[in-house]
Amino acid sequence: MQAKSRAKFLFVLPGILWVLAFTIYPLIRSLFLSFTNTRMGKTGEFVGLHNYIRALGDYRFLNSVWVTVFFVVCSVVFTVGLGLGLALIFNRPIRGQRVFRSLFTMPMFTAPIALGYLGLTIFHEDVGAVNTILRALGVANLPAWGSDVWTARMAIVIVDVWQWTPFCFLVLLAGLSALPEEIYEAAVLDTSSGWDTFRFITLPLLTPVLFTVTMLRMVEAFKMLDIPFSMTNGGPGASTQTMSFYIYLTGLRNFNQGYASAMAYFLLIAMMIIAMIFFRRMRQNFE
Amino acid sequence: MAQRRQPLVSRILLWAVILIATAWCIFPFYWAIITSFKNRSDIVTKPSLIPWLHFQPTLFNWLSEFGNRWPEISKALTNSLIIAIGASLVAIGLGTLAGYGLARFRFYKWNNSSMTMWFLSQRFLPPIVTVIPFFMVMKTLGLIDTQLGLILANATFVMPFAVLVLRDVFKEMPIEMEESAWVDGASHFQSFWHIALPLAAPAVAAALVICFAFSWNEFLFGLILSYQRAIPVTVVIAGVSHTQGIQFQFVATRLLLAILPPTLLALTAQRYIVRGLTFGAVKG
Repeated sequence: MQAKSRAKFLFVLPGILWVLAFTIYPLIRSLFLSFTNTRMGKTGEFVGLHNYIRALGDYRFLNSVWVTVFFVVCSVVFTVGLGLGLALIFNRPIRGQRVFRSLFTMPMFTAPIALGYLGLTIFHEDVGAVNTILRALGVANLPAWGSDVWTARMAIVIVDVWQWTPFCFLVLLAGLSALPEEIYEAAVLDTSSGWDTFRFITLPLLTPVLFTVTMLRMVEAFKMLDIPFSMTNGGPGASTQTMSFYIYLTGLRNFNQGYASAMAYFLLIAMMIIAMIFFRRMRQNFE
Repeated sequence: MAQRRQPLVSRILLWAVILIATAWCIFPFYWAIITSFKNRSDIVTKPSLIPWLHFQPTLFNWLSEFGNRWPEISKALTNSLIIAIGASLVAIGLGTLAGYGLARFRFYKWNNSSMTMWFLSQRFLPPIVTVIPFFMVMKTLGLIDTQLGLILANATFVMPFAVLVLRDVFKEMPIEMEESAWVDGASHFQSFWHIALPLAAPAVAAALVICFAFSWNEFLFGLILSYQRAIPVTVVIAGVSHTQGIQFQFVATRLLLAILPPTLLALTAQRYIVRGLTFGAVKG
């Protein structure tokens, strides 16, 4: 059995080495960069924590943190909320459910960069779809989606919600349909209110799935870049500039790689906190 | 759910919600499609929603997309195709092996759950953190603006899906056949190759499709690692507005060409999508 027990490592080794080479190595390299004043690809000098301290006083960085947090909160609340609502409605025998499920997978697989441009045409102030419909409905003051800070943010949230609500819906629906039916049969005898059944039975049983969905949505929302990139280009001003966007501008447009790496590490730390919470809950799943 | 006859009102409400959700879901696609059949003056002068009633559809944009504009976009589509196929094959190759290893064997020093998290951690990593060092590494290797460079990058991103989904699939597969093969003297690799892998073929195909779709949609690394020969379709799209202003009718044809392949392909992987996107935490 000695040879065989060694063979098992051959299965996992290639993947582990791959992650080491293409994930961990770049991470370490960017950690080093973050302590230097590297610009234009020229290796800079060691500057200690200077970049990190600079970031904390950089109002544009702080703005991007706030914009990102705003998008994360909106995106998670709306996608999970709407997804849960839809899942509760769909969790019963419905004719053609397979068709609807297929339909709802399409938004998730739409390239976000393309979706951003599509959003741009849909929310265009004069000739976009939304304002055309609003005009037809007789709305007098049409929103200026592109040029107003809050409507621009709202438009991005709407596009993101469009893309990811189906994901939450499908996952929560899968979670709901896996709940044991006997409990509900007992509940029908005990109480009559649908709200009570939801509040005291469905919700507690669904918590693990809700937790998973919320965590995964948070992770994706924190990374948000493509949709603001193509839809608003971060504007008006810097009002839709997410952290990823500002780091991109700093590191890859202005070639201030050292400083960009330090800011990227702030984002990474936020992600690591989420990942740790997630992994702690999910550990036994991964045995 | 118990099969109870629901009251009429609740059934009407149910279908109203379904209709609204469906319309909401389809609308952007519908808008892109009708825009691609409008001529420029219709777009600028009278915004409209219903073909024939509001505007006369024209094939002009599509003819020009497949005509004089075709060289640029076809090159990008080919690049995207090669990159996405290459990346998903690499990811599935590594992912199938690792998934099988994690499902079938017990590791001690560095246990199975830690190893699974090692793979999964990539998914939690914001791409913007690694893009700068990745660029430097690719420059050293001379892989800037090559399809290979982008294959390596994308394979890294989509591997977690492959590992986690396949680990799950192998775990659910009864081990008896493989055990009897081991008793007969087959090696672990033989039992994997001849018994487990063929049984997992549908799941492998589905994982391949999901990986393909996400590689195709990737934008940031495409933007940074290519500038001429290896430009994928997402990067071409990002350049549209800057070179031509917002010409909705032209943008729409390109958006559709970029959007359709992954969305349509993903429909074939339906059964594994929930499982894949939640990394096996929720069974679809």
